[in-house]
Amino acid sequence: MAGFHDLNVPWTKDTKELQRTVAFLDELGYDVVALTYTYPAGRLPADLASPVPHPLPFPTPSRLRLLRRCNIFLTDSASNFRIPQLQQHYDLIAARPTDERTLQQACQSLDVDIISLDLTQKFEKHFKYPMLGTAVSRGIKIELCYSQAILSSDPTAKRNLISNAVQLIRVTRGRGLMFSSEAKSVLGVRAPSDVINLASVWGLGAERGKDGLTKEPRSVVEFARLKRQSFKGIVDVVYGGEKPPAPEVEKEKQTPKDQTNPLKDQKRKARESMEGTPVSQSGEEKPISKRQMKRNKKAKTGAEQ
Amino acid sequence: MVRVKNRYLVVNFLYPASSTASKSGDATPELLQFHAPTPDAFHTGILLRVVREGVAELFGDYGTSMAGAGLKVNYWSPATSTAIIRCPREHYEMIWAALTFITKLPKPVDIPVIVQVVRVSGTIRKAEEEVIRRAKQIICRVKTTDAGGKNPIVDSIAKSVEKRRDAENAVLAQIDEADESESESD
Repeated sequence: MAGFHDLNVPWTKDTKELQRTVAFLDELGYDVVALTYTYPAGRLPADLASPVPHPLPFPTPSRLRLLRRCNIFLTDSASNFRIPQLQQHYDLIAARPTDERTLQQACQSLDVDIISLDLTQKFEKHFKYPMLGTAVSRGIKIELCYSQAILSSDPTAKRNLISNAVQLIRVTRGRGLMFSSEAKSVLGVRAPSDVINLASVWGLGAERGKDGLTKEPRSVVEFARLKRQSFKGIVDVVYGGEKPPAPEVEKEKQTPKDQTNPLKDQKRKARESMEGTPVSQSGEEKPISKRQMKRNKKAKTGAEQ
Repeated sequence: MVRVKNRYLVVNFLYPASSTASKSGDATPELLQFHAPTPDAFHTGILLRVVREGVAELFGDYGTSMAGAGLKVNYWSPATSTAIIRCPREHYEMIWAALTFITKLPKPVDIPVIVQVVRVSGTIRKAEEEVIRRAKQIICRVKTTDAGGKNPIVDSIAKSVEKRRDAENAVLAQIDEADESESESD
């Protein structure tokens, strides 16, 4: 089972506060936490390197997996967001659209991982399913941040957040939603089960609410990881443990004569088929190209005839 | 005879931003700071009032009248900051949401707090068992993380909690009896 995720914990320079927050999230039972750095609205700075230090300056709970994430404001659809460069520095990239057009752009074309809306303000237009549906089908998740509803002293912000959340749940039909805290202080964080209950009060079933804390964010994290590390986002080499121990190899060396003969006559086919399958355990070996596969096949059929 | 169905919420009060941290330094581990005891000024009546106000704020008159009817605090332990709250089965989610929205204990105490619902149970017996299990678990975790009495504060707390647990068991048994007689009368 996937663990509980909280993919939006704002990063602060106050190390003690951050350490406390991280320890408390661990205490509440979260497994994956993303520290967020929000770029100020307007143009991105020239140096995109993450201000979040990679090994954090304090001991972190061993069970917890920490990721780095950045938020970028989409104020103008024409500007260049330099997302490929950002991808090198962060594990996750979230876009925060400010109006209708940038939201559409984020849903349809931008290569971000998460769309995070500021739910405390009122939107002029209702959300539409086709727009959000394309985002969900592209693997982008829509984020609901609940801490504003808890911490905010302004009742209209609270009201807006709840009504927007309910609308989003209705429009997306509960698909592709994920919950995160965006807690400015430790007090905005809630335990996973409490968040699930909150979701069910807001009209999302308990099952979907649980998905919003486990399955959906996990798929975002894994998809983002694959985008960065794997070959064209499709093929990834997984470390499958060490190769079988050495003694077998020594045996083969000891009896080279005995092995060659039977292999030539009887087990020729078997040996060929063994060669055809790529060995998944060796990390450096490239997958066989199509041309090479065709050649192998031709040679094989020729040999049979 | 038809019984009135209830849900029992086992609730933990956590103190993430403890005020004692600055005074005592880093002597006490974070685990204990989060599970700090609640001041005695906060008692069952205030807890009930806080929950009622929370429901009224979130759900209005409808909420208070639907969910407030069977509301009762069955058990409250300031030492472990644990409570068992009884609420009507159909509307326990409202109470739970109201608990989630609590950020602060009210005036006489005035400490920021996070309320975590640990378990929802249909019978009070299971709720009690959960409370006892949790208390044991925390003591075990503190002992293992500190590895052998380096910290005198932790030791004394562990001892006092252990002593307290026997007393708690007796109290819980009393509650159990009281509850049974109550449900019979319904």
